[in-house]
Amino acid sequence: MMRRDNSTAANTRIVGQVIGGEFGRVAIRQKAGIEMEIGDILVLEEKDYNILLMVFDLQYASQMDDKMHEMISGVSLEEDSSGNVQFYEPNLVNYVIAHVKPLVRVKKGGSPADGEPVSTMTKTLPPFTSKLRSIEEEDLKFLDGGKDGLFVGRIRSGSEVKNVEVRLPINKIFTHHVLISATTGRGKSNLVKSMLWHVLESRAHVGILVLDAHDEYYSGFVGGSSMGGSSMGVGRRDAGPGQRPYGLRDHPDAVRKVAYYSVARDKRLPGTRTLLINIQSVKPDHFDGVVDFSEAQRGAIHTYYNRYKEQWIRNLMTINTTDTDGSREEGTDDKRSKKFSASTLNIIRRKLEMVLGLYNGPDNTLRAGNTIFDVDDRGGLTIREITDMIERGQIVVLDTSHLHSETELVVGNIIASELLNRYKRYKITGELRHKPVTSIVIEEAPRVIGADVLKSGNSNIYATIAREGRKFKVGLTAITQLSSVIPRSILANMNTKIILGNELKQERMALIDSASQDLSDDDKNIASLNIGEAIITSVFVPFAMPVKIPLFEDVAASAARHKRHTNSVRVFG
Amino acid sequence: MKFAHLADIHLGFQKKESLQSMERKVFEAALDDCISRKVDFILICGDMFHSNIPNMNVQKFAFAKFRQVYEAGIPVYVVYGSHDSSPNSTSVIDLLVETGYIIKVQKTSQTSEDGSISLDFVTNKKTGVKLTGLPGLPASREIEYYENLDRQSLESEPGFKIFLFHGALAEMGPAEAKGQDVAKWGDSMPISYLPRGFDYYAGGHMHKYVHRSMDGYSNVVYPGTPFAGYPSDLEDNARGIKRGYVLVETDNSVAGGVYPDASTANTSAPLRVQFIDVPNYQYELLKIDANNKSSSMVYSEIDKRIDAVDPDGNMVILKVNGTMSEGKTTDIDFDKITETLLQNNAIAVEINRNSLSSAEYKIVESKGETNEEIALNTFAENIGGFKSPLGELMGQKGAELAQKLLQSLSMPSLQNESLAVYTERITGDALRIMRIDDDDSDGDDDSDSDGDDDSDNGGGSDGDDDNYKKELWNKGGEKG
Repeated sequence: MMRRDNSTAANTRIVGQVIGGEFGRVAIRQKAGIEMEIGDILVLEEKDYNILLMVFDLQYASQMDDKMHEMISGVSLEEDSSGNVQFYEPNLVNYVIAHVKPLVRVKKGGSPADGEPVSTMTKTLPPFTSKLRSIEEEDLKFLDGGKDGLFVGRIRSGSEVKNVEVRLPINKIFTHHVLISATTGRGKSNLVKSMLWHVLESRAHVGILVLDAHDEYYSGFVGGSSMGGSSMGVGRRDAGPGQRPYGLRDHPDAVRKVAYYSVARDKRLPGTRTLLINIQSVKPDHFDGVVDFSEAQRGAIHTYYNRYKEQWIRNLMTINTTDTDGSREEGTDDKRSKKFSASTLNIIRRKLEMVLGLYNGPDNTLRAGNTIFDVDDRGGLTIREITDMIERGQIVVLDTSHLHSETELVVGNIIASELLNRYKRYKITGELRHKPVTSIVIEEAPRVIGADVLKSGNSNIYATIAREGRKFKVGLTAITQLSSVIPRSILANMNTKIILGNELKQERMALIDSASQDLSDDDKNIASLNIGEAIITSVFVPFAMPVKIPLFEDVAASAARHKRHTNSVRVFG
Repeated sequence: MKFAHLADIHLGFQKKESLQSMERKVFEAALDDCISRKVDFILICGDMFHSNIPNMNVQKFAFAKFRQVYEAGIPVYVVYGSHDSSPNSTSVIDLLVETGYIIKVQKTSQTSEDGSISLDFVTNKKTGVKLTGLPGLPASREIEYYENLDRQSLESEPGFKIFLFHGALAEMGPAEAKGQDVAKWGDSMPISYLPRGFDYYAGGHMHKYVHRSMDGYSNVVYPGTPFAGYPSDLEDNARGIKRGYVLVETDNSVAGGVYPDASTANTSAPLRVQFIDVPNYQYELLKIDANNKSSSMVYSEIDKRIDAVDPDGNMVILKVNGTMSEGKTTDIDFDKITETLLQNNAIAVEINRNSLSSAEYKIVESKGETNEEIALNTFAENIGGFKSPLGELMGQKGAELAQKLLQSLSMPSLQNESLAVYTERITGDALRIMRIDDDDSDGDDDSDSDGDDDSDNGGGSDGDDDNYKKELWNKGGEKG
């Protein structure tokens, strides 16, 4: 936060003066009484333009040499217990040098509505000795993206939050992929909840699939229906004992716009849909990037799929392979399948058993050991139902907290494949332009787009979406603590990055290297981000924007109160 | 104890006399069966009628039948369905309730503080069974009821409880949905909206019999339609789908009520849920693939296939699908086909040609910023394929006229506007757009003035077709 004394009214807005440096690293002498912060935004006024600059480094400076400082400190500490020993005119002698970098050059009085570019990159050095002032809300009016954009937070100068909304072009950012990066406890889930809430608020037509690994977005509880706090440690402020925190279900339009699927069967919230998928919906490529099959195993799987189509899993799991030489199958005259050894098939079975929770019952009938996959006649419509909802512009939250990580990814793969294939068809038929943009929100994204998963030419649906989903209006919103393990080619395709605090140097460097704006000097800035503070770098914003994410509980509370008051439904008859 | 569960009867749906008679026959047969089996009560879970105010003949028939059931001492409990409900006006069901022939179970009281909906139970005196439920609404809007439903009071109520509802539950969905079911299941609601712990969940809305139990929800049942509520139901009938109602029994004694002290909540012997088949027609289903065939080839194939079936005493369903390579759909004389089959003693003939088109009429889709622009561009793109001696109907002028006409015909009805008034208004608007004076046609239109709000009455304008055409020619001639 930038603090000032209130003694010099005339110069109250001036915070420093250019004293040297170079392009991209201009040195400013800080005015006495001002306390600059890393991340502060300053303004240098020119005739027709304002140049916005950001503080990225601070250091001490003095007109005296170090020996003198050491001497004065010695006197103060050892001789004068009253602490009255001072420099003569200390404000002139000792001061702080701030290093700033230009962010953007803004035309005074310009508005995006004029049709001309309001902001441009700065290419010149500010005049020597020119004075800088602190930023005012008026200076940021050029950011006004209208009410249709996705509200992410408010502009922050250091830790001071300005009443200027940051709104991102909702259709563009989702198809061009979003990366949300943070370590635990920096407000990641608050950000995601808040973003999803504001997607519901916006008039834009966006369909989103959320793979909610902690079951925290819909009900507000971590773990869904049981009591608990959020990972930020922030519960509902006005929640008394027995009351639950807010979640997406509290949005006034939640009934129409949000669908929540869970496998948990007890203590379900009303409105919860059963996440039940018939195994006939599972295809071989749904295991790509999730289960490691050898070439031979892959070959066997594809042969079974080609031969038995949607019955491939059932047949692969139940056809008897216990013959003695391990190379023949009983119960089938399929010559092609004979080339697969019993051991190959047994390994595939074990892997399928683990991931899909299937097993072969004593009477050689396929059974489902978990609650998500159905081997009989149920759950055949779930995938289509979910994809339909996304296509209608709804948010579909899948509670995957009860699932094994690999099972969660297979479920995600099934839906993502169906969605991408469907949108590819729409592209061909020309219907795509009428369809809403879509995004798949996935946590711990390196599980599917990490370098180790995509090694040796392996690919999966998420990597495909990251690379080519934009053409088909299907985007990825990847949440991660570890950006460094995502291949550069994919990271560079994530055109909007919302960077929350991160104490790991390696992670910060990965983000800085792939950012849409030059963040090479922002390492300290990122390291010093507090909970809820973020930097947004995107091809859709004029400069890397420091923002404060609102507390979800505050956002939801007023809307939920409104919902309670207006929700008076009368049953007719 | 023994009770019957019916739904989706759609009385008044059928327009052809023979089908109407079957619609009534199966309904009568089902209720007669209930009477002869001496059921303790009957549940009807919505869409008993195809519209909220059906034709008077349908009402008369239904009243007579329900009176018979009433006189047999069998209470009938109902909720509205998506077809026979109307939030803005009355439903014929209300009249049946007023007469006492049927009992509505959707007894609600709303607690104003938090806006939640509380439901009261209706108790069947003879058995002590407690019933409650919620109606269906058009476009599945009943979900708002469930969102605000006070489940706790319902779940804590002791006794044998039945919940009546009308709507698709996602968890009851089949492995695969076809035809009309696709749209219906698309609007499905999660079962978690229903209160838990009831002994029987009596559903309506889905037209095929399903019986499932799942955690917290035992015996969730859709009996399906006893005959047909959609054209595709008849095709399903022809494919062998059984139609009828559901009979539910327990071994408990009825005397003094099964659960007189209402304290033995769902601890009784398991229910026996049995589907009772009520036969209707014998069917012949003919499917013709018209893809890449000319209209004359399709016609002769139909002719040949018809020769091979025996229509005598059967209902014949002819389904023609695909895009013909040449010729028009009107080249195939479906009226003649129908006539031939009826002459050969077919009981009824249904022809489904909704998915039949011709490559000659391939519509090219066009781009535009708004719907109006897309429509105009699409007309402009395709109007070249339309030949007319009237200049006004051709080229850009014709496209603009078509677009205006489309816009006018897309106007929805106003609130509380009756179908007759709406039809007149829309027809008038359309005629004005086409600059056709409709004064002359009024003289032939008096047949529709009896106030009968039959939803199938298209304004009685069929006989005026020739007048319209003549007017159009005259106007066009004058202009030209």
